[in-house]
This record gives sequence, structure tokens and C-alpha cells, in this order.
Amino acid sequence: MMPKFAWIFSILLPGLGQLVLGQVQRGVFALSGFLTSIALAYWRFSLLAPRETTLIGVLRRSLERRPGFTSFVLLLIALFWILGILDTLKLAHPGPGKKVRGLLSFFFTLSLLLFVLGWQISEIDVSRMVKDFNKAMTPLNRVLWPWKAAVTRDTRVLSARAEILEGEGTPPGKPVSKPGQPYVYAEPTVGIASKLDEKGQPVPGTIITLHGSGFEPNTKTDIWWEDPIGSRFQVRIGGEYLTVITDAEGKFSVQLPIPYSIIPPGAVKGPLIHYAEAQQIFPVGPLKPSTPFLEIVSRMVETIVMGLMATVLGILFAIPLSFLAARNIMHGSWIGMSIYYLMRFIMNVVRSIEPIIWAVIAVVWVGLGPFAGVIALTIHSIASLGKLYSEAIEGIDHGPIEAVQATGATKLQTIMFAVIPQMVSPFISFSIYRWDINVRMSTIIGMVGGGGVGFVLLQYVRLLDYQAAGIAVWFIAVTVAVLDYVSAEIRERMI
Amino acid sequence: MLEVQHLTKVYPDGTVALKDVSFSVQDGEFLVVIGLSGAGKSTLLRCINRLIEPSGGKILWNGIDVTEADPKSLRKIRRDFGMVFQQFNLVHRLSVQMNVLAGRLGYVSPTKSLLYRFNEEDYRLAEEALRKVGLLEMAYKRARELSGGQQQRVGIARALMQQPKVILADEPVASLDPVLAHSILGYLEQLNKEEGITVICSLHYLDLVQRYASRVIGLRGGQLVYEGSREDIRRMTDDQFKEVYGEEAERIAPPSLAGGTNDA
Repeated sequence: MMPKFAWIFSILLPGLGQLVLGQVQRGVFALSGFLTSIALAYWRFSLLAPRETTLIGVLRRSLERRPGFTSFVLLLIALFWILGILDTLKLAHPGPGKKVRGLLSFFFTLSLLLFVLGWQISEIDVSRMVKDFNKAMTPLNRVLWPWKAAVTRDTRVLSARAEILEGEGTPPGKPVSKPGQPYVYAEPTVGIASKLDEKGQPVPGTIITLHGSGFEPNTKTDIWWEDPIGSRFQVRIGGEYLTVITDAEGKFSVQLPIPYSIIPPGAVKGPLIHYAEAQQIFPVGPLKPSTPFLEIVSRMVETIVMGLMATVLGILFAIPLSFLAARNIMHGSWIGMSIYYLMRFIMNVVRSIEPIIWAVIAVVWVGLGPFAGVIALTIHSIASLGKLYSEAIEGIDHGPIEAVQATGATKLQTIMFAVIPQMVSPFISFSIYRWDINVRMSTIIGMVGGGGVGFVLLQYVRLLDYQAAGIAVWFIAVTVAVLDYVSAEIRERMI
Repeated sequence: MLEVQHLTKVYPDGTVALKDVSFSVQDGEFLVVIGLSGAGKSTLLRCINRLIEPSGGKILWNGIDVTEADPKSLRKIRRDFGMVFQQFNLVHRLSVQMNVLAGRLGYVSPTKSLLYRFNEEDYRLAEEALRKVGLLEMAYKRARELSGGQQQRVGIARALMQQPKVILADEPVASLDPVLAHSILGYLEQLNKEEGITVICSLHYLDLVQRYASRVIGLRGGQLVYEGSREDIRRMTDDQFKEVYGEEAERIAPPSLAGGTNDA
């Protein structure tokens, strides 16, 4: 009676029919999967149609906005519904001598439906990823090969300036030249500045010629300007910076209009004196490490030390605690087992909170800096090592203990000869493994203010200084790789 | 002389491992304990030196009750009982030499040995013990680098360090192949014959029992069900064997190892 009409229940709701047939797991799975996807689909549709209030309105609007996605989801829901009915029919009428088997496509449709919804929820956009790849190229190149920013050289500046009077009055005289010093004079030394007319079009001012001598020969020379209120700027003509190359004798001459500058009325008493300045900058001396490079190196040292300190402190606290969390040590008494369960519980809770979360708390507690990072890593290390150590204690072989006891050894002798030798390997192995983890964690713990290289890395990223950030990334990568190798090597020899 | 009287062991979970077991062992005997796994062989051997606390009964060692001994005298009693285990029970991380020296722990001062240091005399004894089992050149290797048979020989050397009067061997050859089994039992027989050390050994294979035992006791379900002399064992039939081992038991050892007693 029931099996015959189970498909009617499946028309009502996918999964119900299977439940009626006694296929509880199958039914619950289909029903919960269906309800989940209906809820997710409605959520995404209503996000596409925020102003609509009715179900029909929501569906119509989201069909307009995302026809592909919306129709595909609706199609899959309908398909799932129909396949659910067919599945029920197949389950109700198994072939003769066959095992009861439903439709595989029923669940495949559900998986596809959830995948499509997941694709939309996580905003996957492959075309954008491909299209905007070039945007990533510049920063990526800088991060991948940042070493130009790792070095710098001292610079030497050669400069000389000449006075120019704006408006009317006595023209300033030629500056006095000193032998061996760079020298610049202007011709004429008086004129009117560039202006904007009523339509906002620039009107060039008096063209002056700057003559320079005594500069470094064949070198690029920048022209700077300082207006009467002291603003200094590099001169541009047609948007380009004005530069000139000196000749073989270190001389040049260049023409420019007196540039436009805004001088508030009454800001300057007396004559409006401008300065034209020629300047050469060139690197001198040997290559030396740049400021970001030195900063990153010192932060990297800080990072490694943080990891070490957290490991040592973690070991010191974890060893005694691990005995309290070892079943074979604590069993026997009611109090012992309570302590065992309490320790296990605390360790599991502390361990499940990531070091970076602990760092956020520690920063509030002791302020920004490496100490906060050490606190965070130590807390997490104690819990992790405590658990690993206690498992090592639980795992020791009772045989050697028995054998040493049988010789007439005292309790202390038994511990020294049978217990400790068995624990040395796992203890060392776990501690080195933890050191490895701690250094790795301390590279990123700075991102929440916990000190170390992560702190400066994030700073450089925010300043869009991808080269400096690249140097930090390189240091982190190399340190982690070396550490990984070293710790694996040591552990291999220990065990 | 060792006398076991009405020995009973009940574990905390209620398992009765030994039930009213009584027997005695004369000095110089090679006593073999047979029985199925779980029959109480291991418990019996461990009760003798109180690695397991007996629940009832008495164990008299040269007239002294072992079950009543305080920790200090128990330490002295344990020195007389060297022990050899199925799983060898060496400390894998320590050197062979240090494992052997551990046999001396019942003699040396507790404080000194905590730093893994021993007397000159102890080192000399260790050398001698290792020479006896033919492993002198392995002294500085780590115990885990040795093969199973070698590890068991180190186990015997460790027991010898106690200068024992009795060796308790708990299935010493169950983890070894038949050839090694004869070699290990050969060492025990040699110690028994040449140095007069009493051996109490649990074994599985009837063929080995017939070859080495001077007397046999059989345990089944924690009770003593068989006691026989050397001659009794030689004549022991498969039916008697099954009485100890239960109906499903078969001879396992290949005929080539039966030592000419195939006709049994």
C-alpha cells in the first residue's frame, strides 16, 4: 500500500518519498540538501532583486539581471524534483532479484545545484581574472625580483641659483661666480610670470635664458624654481620636467618662461624675487644596503628570535603540564583523572585558537611589538606541545620499565633507565617541529602588531612599496625553506 | 629452593589469572611452564619477583616469603631473579653496554647510577656477560640496531649481570624463528648446566619443551593441570598435549626441530 504511493510524497517534497519507503539516510540527505539549496537560491535571488517584495517579483527581476544563473538554478531545482519522484518509483519497484537501488543522477543533480550556487556566492569571476592579469604583473614583478631596492648609493648634489624679479623695479645683478663652484645666471633678470587668462588658458610669461657653468660635464641637469613665498618645484614645460644635458665643459643654457605661481595678495612685502635653480644629482661611492633592506634584516632576526623564545618558553611550561595530561600518569585516582580531563580540555581549547588571534589579544595586553608575538606563540606552543608530549608519555613501552624493575632498580633508577630514554626522541622531535612552526607563525604574526617581519611587510604593502615588500617575502621564504630542511634533517637523525 | 603455595591473582577488572597454584622448584632445575595464551604463564612468572602483586598465597624463596618483603628486601630478592622477556624489552635508545649494565641497578648506589655511571667492576662484568653471549663487538651499538636474536642475547646478558640464582624467561623465543629459538634456549641450557642457575621458562612448542625441560608444569585457565618429569614429557602424547592446550591445539613446530622425538 505505502510503497505504491510513495511517489506522491516525493511530489510534495523531494526526499519525503524515500523517507516513507524507510530509506531514512537517503531521504534525510535529499530533503536537507533540497531545503539548503532552496534557501541559498532564494537568498541569492533576493540579493539580485533588493526592492522586490513578492516571490514572483524577485524571480522576474533576478531573471532580468542574471538570466543564465537564475534559469540554470531553477532548471536544476525542477530536475532534482522530477528525479526525486523517479528515484522513489525505482526504489518502490525493484527489479526481480535485484538490490534496491535508486538513481545516481538524483544526487548528482543536487551536487551540481550546490556547486552552481557556491560559484555565485563566492563571486567567482574567471573572465575578470584573465582580463586583469596585467594589473598584477607590475607588483608581481617587483615582488619576484626586488633586489634593485635592496641596495643604494650615496648621492652628491651640485646646484646653483639665480635671482629673477617679477614685475617692475631694479633688475637683480648677476650672481658672483666662484672658481670651482657651479654657477648660474639668468637673462633677462626681470619679467612677468606666466598667467591664466579669463578663459583659463595659459599665457606664457617672459622667456628667460639660464646660463650655467662649472657643472659636471655631460650630465643630466634638472631645473627647479622657487617662488617669492618659498614654494619650490621642478619646472615643467608641456607637462614634461625640464632637463638639460651639460656639454663637455660642464656648461649649458636653457630657455624657459617664468612659471606660473599663485601668490596671495599681501603675502610678500617688497619686490617679488624668484629663484631659478639648476641641480645635478649623481650617485657616488660604493653600493650599500638600502634602508628597507636593513630594516627587513633586523626584523627578520627579531622574527627568528621570537620563534626561538616562544619555543623555549613553551617547552619549559609544557613539560610539567604534559605529565598532568598523560592518562597513564594520572590514572588510578578520581582526582588524577579529573585533572587529566581538565588539562586535556584546556589544551584543546587553547590549541584551537590560532596564534594570530592570541596575538590580537596580546597586543591589547602588552602593546605592539615582539613581546606580544612571543606571548601569543608561547600560549599556543604550550597547548600544542603539552598535547604532543602527553601523547608521547602515554605511548611509552611498558616492557623496558618492567625489565629494569625486575633487576631490583629503585623507582628513580627505573625512570632514568627506562622512562626518560624512551621520551628523549619524541620530545626533541616535537620541540624542533614546534620551533619550525613558531618561526613560520612569527613571520605573519606581525601583521596584527605582534612584531617581526610581518609588521614591516604589511607596512610596505600598504605603502605600495612592492619592492621592499618583495625583499621581505624573499627573506621569509628562504628562512622557512631553510628551517623546514634543517628541522626535518635533525628530526630524522633523532628518531 | 622456590616454593609457590596457593598462589592466586585476580586483576582489578575481575579476571582470575591464577587460581590456587602450588608447586616447588629445586635448585638447578630447568622448569618449563606450558599453556595457552592467557593461561596465566606470564602472570605466574611476574608474581615470583612481584612485578605483579599476588592477590593471595605465598612464595617462599629459600624460606623467605617474597609476598611479605618490604621494598628494601624486595630489591635484594629481585637481584636473585634474572628475567628474560618475549619482546626482549631493551631500552632501544641506550647502547648495548648500557642495557647490560642496567642489570646491575639492583646492586649499585642509586645516586651514582642516575648519571649513567657504574664501577670499574661493573664494566668488567658487562664485558664478561657480553662475551658469554658472543656480542662483545656490539657493545657500543644502540640496542635497536640489533636483530631480534641479538637483542634477546643482550637480554640474557642483562639478566646475567644480576648474578642471578634463577632466570625467569617469559616465552623467550616466541618472537624468534626456530633456528634462533634453539640458539637462545641453548644459552639458557648452558647457564643451567654449567653455572647451576635454575631456569623457569614458559614455552609454546612441545618439541622445544621435550628438548630442554627437566620438568614441566601446565597451566590452563589459571590452574595447574599438569606436572611431569623429563621422562613424562618425552612420552607425552598429542592427547595429553591437548589436555593442556585445549582441543584446538596442534603441534606447530616442523618435524626437523623435534630433536628425534617425532615418534611421540
